[in-house]
Amino acid sequence: MRGRTSRPAEEANVDLTPMLDVVFILLIFFIVTSTFIQEKAMAAEPPPPASPPIDKEPDPAILVFIDANDNITVNRKQSDLASVRAAMERLKAENPESALIIQAHPQSSAGTFMIIRDQAYSAKMDRVNIVRSGG
Amino acid sequence: MARKKRNAAASAEDDVNLTPMLDVVFILLIFFIVTAVFIQEPDAEIERISAKQFEKQSPLGMLIAVDKKSKIFFGKSEVTLSDIGFRIREARKDNPEGRIVVQPHRNAEAGVVIDLMEAINAEEKTNKVALSVLED
Repeated sequence: MRGRTSRPAEEANVDLTPMLDVVFILLIFFIVTSTFIQEKAMAAEPPPPASPPIDKEPDPAILVFIDANDNITVNRKQSDLASVRAAMERLKAENPESALIIQAHPQSSAGTFMIIRDQAYSAKMDRVNIVRSGG
Repeated sequence: MARKKRNAAASAEDDVNLTPMLDVVFILLIFFIVTAVFIQEPDAEIERISAKQFEKQSPLGMLIAVDKKSKIFFGKSEVTLSDIGFRIREARKDNPEGRIVVQPHRNAEAGVVIDLMEAINAEEKTNKVALSVLED
């Protein structure tokens, strides 16, 4: 009894510092994991689900076709990644209403149609659709 | 020398009281634990294209990768195209808000990526899918 009461009060205090260290580490972990992953992404439109056919005459379209070897044709004229934007803009100037269809062969690479979609954004094309060619 | 001795004697009383700080830190900790949404990064190596037109996706929900051999990865596992709808529905139970981002490798087959985008749109009732790019 006497031994217990004579113990200094300071030693009875729990030292909180190590616990604070642990809590801080946990806190930093959760802060980092909650904000670390960020993705930059571009929106792209796959073909819309099949809808009943409409009787209306379809609007003229700009057709960018990518074949299995990533060769690009714009309305059947040979083109390439560097000149496809100019070709799209020229056709759009002729026919401002026209929609853009990017038709990619299933075996072509995804990067190609994404770059063309990006250039279509830069060329301010609205009504863009990405479809796959049959086969 | 004498001053040092006096300081040492007074140090027990000079100790900063850490308890209120600990309270604040605990509250912050619990806040971050509760709001943390764990996103599994797909276990695939992705080479992105660089693009000028993009937006930052926030809050991020799910990442679906298509690697250069056109395999589809959802989290740590490889999935088939027909399973994607089911996997998205499962993940939506934990995370109803976050956006879905597809990460296609630049040499992945376009057919697989377009089919995947169609499957996601069918599941999510949207008409656009975000494709991961690098800032140009």
